[in-house]
Amino acid sequence: MGEPDFDSFPVVLHGHQFEDFPEGREFAHHWGRTITAGDNALFSTATCNWNPMHLNAEFARAHGHPDVVVNPMLVLCTVVGLSVEDLSETGGPFLGMENVRFHRPVHPGDTLTASSKVVEARESKTRPHTGIVTWHTEAHNQHGELVVDYQRTNLVAKRRLPKGG
Amino acid sequence: MSDLSALTGSNNYFEDFAAGQRMRHARSATIDEVENNYLSKQVMNTAQGHWNEEYLAGSPLGGGRLVFGLITGSMMVGLASQDTAENALCELGLDAVRFSKPVHHGDTITAYTEVLDTADAPDRDDAGIVRFKHWGRNQRGETVCELERLVLIKRRGSAAIPETETKEVK
Repeated sequence: MGEPDFDSFPVVLHGHQFEDFPEGREFAHHWGRTITAGDNALFSTATCNWNPMHLNAEFARAHGHPDVVVNPMLVLCTVVGLSVEDLSETGGPFLGMENVRFHRPVHPGDTLTASSKVVEARESKTRPHTGIVTWHTEAHNQHGELVVDYQRTNLVAKRRLPKGG
Repeated sequence: MSDLSALTGSNNYFEDFAAGQRMRHARSATIDEVENNYLSKQVMNTAQGHWNEEYLAGSPLGGGRLVFGLITGSMMVGLASQDTAENALCELGLDAVRFSKPVHHGDTITAYTEVLDTADAPDRDDAGIVRFKHWGRNQRGETVCELERLVLIKRRGSAAIPETETKEVK
């Protein structure tokens, strides 16, 4: 018996396209993420951010924190990461972000969940197969407190044949 | 911990920053397997163009793995962090974040900073707010990322203990 025809296996598609983003639509993003001490140490050192507030627990405690303060760029990257499947995985460059605000510190063991709302969706004048979408995203910790919010804008592909992944 | 101030620099307190001040940060960093391929997955970025070498073959963005823009941004902030946030109490926010050119594995980022303005903190007198503009350039001198960044920084001699909740910055 030979191998099956792998090209005939349907791709399990993820994500949304331009037509899925009417203004006002809300998304509760998948998974959530507990940020560990290891996450913070790895991310902070790998990005050359050796600030003792992020990597020296005694220094952070002396400033009133229960533990190191998780690098806010890790918080931001994680929240964007959690939103990628719903908002931007199907393609189109990341254009920019506005009004990123860190509302309270995150400490190791805190769990983040993210949600977004479509603020604006418009056709691209120069690229007929794409639109430009802006979302407002918020992330909360396990106590329901707002940790970070921001607006993000991407080029987003319009519907067409799936690209195979 | 007996003397906190011995752990951080003495020339980067709030009073040391003034609008117009410019810095080129001395250390640059190359983005490769750990910095993009791993960190993109660590932060749950499911877009496989960041960690699948084949996915973007033939794309106008260039073949190979495309670096997640916020990894470039985080590296830029990291490279600038000692000179701009070693005596910070907290990061308040970012504005006008832009990604102007694709970054690929093997590219090297250098960070540049200008102080846009400084202001008293609205709710405390032992620290102030500095607004920085950062640029990240690749090894060809092309700007790949830029952003503005608001940081709450201790005044010299303060025994600053941060509040656990920062106030909204307009």
